[in-house]
Amino acid sequence: MQLYEFQAKTIFRKHGIPTPNGLIARTCEEAVEAAKKIGLPVAIKAQVLLGGRGLAGGIKIVKSSEDVVSVASTILRTDLKSEKPIALLIEEKLDIAKELYCSVTWDYPKKCPVLIASSSGGMAIESIARDRPSEVVTLLIDPYPGYSQYVGRHLSARIGLQGKEVVTFGNIVNRLWNVFREHDAELVEVNPVGVLCNGDMVAVDAKLTLDDKSLFRQKEVIDEMPVVPYDGKGLAYRRLRAKELGIPTYIEMEGEIGVLSDGAGTGMLTLDLIHDAGGKIRVYCEMGGEVTPELMEKTLTTAANAGNVRVVLVSLIGGLNRMDEMAEGIIRYVNNQKSKPQIVVRMAGTQEDEGRRILSENGIAHYDDLYEAVQATVNVKS
Amino acid sequence: MAILIDQNSRALVQGITGKIGAYQTQLMIKYGTNVVAGVTPGKGGQATAGVPVFDTVAQAVEETHPDVSICFVPGPYACDAVIEAIECELKLIVAVAESVPLADAVRMLSYASKRGSYVLGPDTSGLISPGKCKLGVQPHRLFSEGPVGIVSRSGALSYETAKMLTRNGWGQSTVIGLGGGPVWGFTYRDALELFRKDDLTQAVVLLGEIGGYIEEEAAEYIKGNYPKPVVALVVGRSAPPGQKMGHAGAIIQHGKGSAQDKVQRFKEAGVSTANSPKEIPAILKEEIRS
Repeated sequence: MQLYEFQAKTIFRKHGIPTPNGLIARTCEEAVEAAKKIGLPVAIKAQVLLGGRGLAGGIKIVKSSEDVVSVASTILRTDLKSEKPIALLIEEKLDIAKELYCSVTWDYPKKCPVLIASSSGGMAIESIARDRPSEVVTLLIDPYPGYSQYVGRHLSARIGLQGKEVVTFGNIVNRLWNVFREHDAELVEVNPVGVLCNGDMVAVDAKLTLDDKSLFRQKEVIDEMPVVPYDGKGLAYRRLRAKELGIPTYIEMEGEIGVLSDGAGTGMLTLDLIHDAGGKIRVYCEMGGEVTPELMEKTLTTAANAGNVRVVLVSLIGGLNRMDEMAEGIIRYVNNQKSKPQIVVRMAGTQEDEGRRILSENGIAHYDDLYEAVQATVNVKS
Repeated sequence: MAILIDQNSRALVQGITGKIGAYQTQLMIKYGTNVVAGVTPGKGGQATAGVPVFDTVAQAVEETHPDVSICFVPGPYACDAVIEAIECELKLIVAVAESVPLADAVRMLSYASKRGSYVLGPDTSGLISPGKCKLGVQPHRLFSEGPVGIVSRSGALSYETAKMLTRNGWGQSTVIGLGGGPVWGFTYRDALELFRKDDLTQAVVLLGEIGGYIEEEAAEYIKGNYPKPVVALVVGRSAPPGQKMGHAGAIIQHGKGSAQDKVQRFKEAGVSTANSPKEIPAILKEEIRS
């Protein structure tokens, strides 16, 4: 679960990590009001989940109230990489002397957390990591003995900080670590950590992604988080909606074929085979290994309603998933939807005979062979 | 022979009384797996599918001497159950649960490697040595006995491939699902090490996916020094690049993990590569004859 910057910053503040003064605004009027309270100049920042926001024009510094109106309305209307901002974060404009970088995430191959820091923060951090790797320091946290407070100071010194800066940055690192551990994060990232003229340090940006599989033990923090009602109809909304329905993977592309699968591996194989057969994918939903008839029906509805979908291929080869239950879900969808794209079903695996019988009785064509199902899907004309 | 499990394996089922655990235990017994005990805290003394249920793994081990475990305990409690099994010296634990918190998965997997136990998963379909033993949730009708070892991240992709091989007369020695990631206990490399020494296995089919790191590790292991033919398939060639998560991911991965990159590494290691399961039977025919 990826959090918006304003949500991540409320969690940061609870853990004692300094952030700029800021207010959330959903309209131009609210933006003007917020800028007045904070005091000009302010930074206007689009609240979106996708990366590369700054380069896409989602962050602007403004000096006058008139500019607040024009910039706010522009950003609110802009699709940043096909994602409409859900709101604006209006923040005080700080005088930053130096930008640092810090993140905590998992090193999967080594199976331990890793801290990453650099004295060259800012938008170029990835190219710096590639071209001048010595300027980006990584530090693995061994589960035995685990994390100690000195690690923050050690990391500060390793990126070349000295004296008081070592303690100030070290404290931020230690608190980011606390956020990472206590909230089961996959990623905590601050880019940049702004160093002010008086030596104070502030988390100018905040990225926080929580582990979806740990959300059951993060209820408190999720309930306390500020939310902005989102009624958009864009990709971000559809993706969020899919997640709420319990569809683990929801991906949109440019074509006109929908694909549902009950496993990531066969799902990707199906996409590859459709690609090889000259078909183009519009939407791909992977449902995982614990699919109920209800989830089957909801996922079909979601895929069919992604827009511009001509045909949906349901690609099933179940182990845990029972094909009789999957067939039941498909029938429910067919009976409940009036106008809909054509459906092609590939069905094999646990209880396949029963599943196929149910489909046949309801007049739904089905295939045992994946290649034949793919060909039939690509052959469907609009 | 086969690897990891065969007709002599004695299986423990953790979480045997849950909906999935009870149903899958029946299917495993029907297949011929010797399920000697089950564990569900609070249900000791009962029986499920004719199998005695214990409150703790230690009691089950003491009374029935299992040597492998399959764990159906749900994600939030899976780490605890797996560590309990490791503590009782079980050397192979299949962790089926899909939703194990990342920090828990890391904890149980690190502990397993420290104690010398194999953990398959989490989020795995398990493993099957066709005709001998099934410790997983596979639709077993798609499998048949024979000389090909299969190791796959995705369970479903291993079913798909086994189905294709069976249809073309290629049976399987052992078929292993490693699990959905992003972290794994048992990896391709472990499977390759065991298949290397297995008399029954004449060739290995390795089914990979985009992302992660274990295909690269496997290619490195095979390079110039593997005695049996290996055929690799990496799915996800046409998938769009994953959603970017901050800069940290990019900094650590250095752009690795694409299907093209993985296929290239397999080719450099002398591994035959297939574009889809359909191509594998012909490659096997060629490789095993030569």
